[in-house]
Amino acid sequence: MDIIERYLEAVAAQLPTEDREDIVAELRDLILSRVEAREEELGRALSDEEKEAILHEIGHPLIVAARYRKGPDSLIGPELFPYWLFGAKAGLIVIAAVQALGLLISVLGAPADFGRAISQAFHGFFSGGLTLLGALTLAGAIMEHYDIKPKWLTKWRVRDLSAFGLADPAKWGASLAGTEKAKSEWLPKGARVWGVRAETRGAADALWSLIFSGIFLLWWMGVIRFDALSQFTLRSGEVAVAAAPIWSTLYGVILALVTAGMVVDAVTIARGGADRVTWTLRIPLAAAAIWLAWRLFDAGWWFTLTQGEQVAKVMGGPANRIGTELLRALHLEGRGLEETAVTLGAVLSWVLVIAMVGYGVSIVQNLWRIATTRAR
Amino acid sequence: MDRELFETMRLELRRGTLVLAVLACLRTERYGYTLRQALAADGLEMEESTLYPLLRRLEGQGLLTSEWREEEKRKKRFYVLSPGGEAMLAALTEEWRGINASLERLL
Repeated sequence: MDIIERYLEAVAAQLPTEDREDIVAELRDLILSRVEAREEELGRALSDEEKEAILHEIGHPLIVAARYRKGPDSLIGPELFPYWLFGAKAGLIVIAAVQALGLLISVLGAPADFGRAISQAFHGFFSGGLTLLGALTLAGAIMEHYDIKPKWLTKWRVRDLSAFGLADPAKWGASLAGTEKAKSEWLPKGARVWGVRAETRGAADALWSLIFSGIFLLWWMGVIRFDALSQFTLRSGEVAVAAAPIWSTLYGVILALVTAGMVVDAVTIARGGADRVTWTLRIPLAAAAIWLAWRLFDAGWWFTLTQGEQVAKVMGGPANRIGTELLRALHLEGRGLEETAVTLGAVLSWVLVIAMVGYGVSIVQNLWRIATTRAR
Repeated sequence: MDRELFETMRLELRRGTLVLAVLACLRTERYGYTLRQALAADGLEMEESTLYPLLRRLEGQGLLTSEWREEEKRKKRFYVLSPGGEAMLAALTEEWRGINASLERLL
């Protein structure tokens, strides 16, 4: 077969069948016209190499055929791409945050399995991230192909734009930074976090709190699962975790408290940051959290670990366990079931004590803010 | 001056004018190869892989009509402006002159 026909065949294979014959006939005429013009110039027939050079100038068959294709030239066009990029960045940050939280919970539940927890978190991030990018690209390609223009592409409002800060890692970092000094160093001067000046506390913290409370609530209601919490592995084998009766007793209270916390977070975000109203709302919330933490602490029995025939209770509470048990746990050799239960009991005791102190401090802080800040 | 950047900007500048040039050139009936030569003779070089799909697109938009005819022992596709294409050319020419005049005042 002639070199030109081979080229045309490669182009034809990429063309829609209804136009194929017509386009190939026109391309053939173009190529032959160029070959004839060159032959006339040289006064002789062209070699295959010379013909190939002309075909190179015309372009690769895939590119030539693509120019004839109807519809968009790219999967995600320039109009849609910024939205795709925003979705990808914000989604990846959220996935990373969720995996980090899962990792934290896994490590607290089974410190011996730190390595496995890390690898699971990475696996979760990469598989979640790739799924997210694939889904976004598919959605974008469908919108591009069918020229779908949703309302949010054309009818946006300035007051809805604060959520777009989600894709800026600097803002996430700044919202996590503990001090105002850190925030002012991380962000450009006068930059805004979630629509609020970086110098103003509140909205960014509330957004974080809302996200994590939402994840907790979904888990608490059984919508999502963290397997590391119900089962983990020690060197001696699989360990099943069962909740103590105190959790059933306090189920409704915890549900109500977390929901109330999310409402206050939403109010904080809606008001563009913390103010006298939200500080006031947080005081009874913190008092209720102290009461809840005390009820849990006082119950003293939180989980039961089972490994084959062996059973160990995760216990703590006020019965002189906080100091001595933690010290004992730190010196325990090996990672048997009993040792793990003691470690977890000591850690949870400390977590509850620190939580109670933290909520107490936040009540004092909020009272102080109310007393020293003028109403807006 | 950054030559690469200049080349990118030059191509961007030219891209929008090519449709107008092709429409203007097809007030006279031509087939693809001679059209390209006519454009090149007036200083508007255009790749075949851009020109031929553009001709089909303009025909699909009703601005050109085409006809297969035999010439120089081979069948060729001849293109010419349709009445709709003539109206479009007139409107685009007016627009171009407006832009050109504005730019002349600025430059």
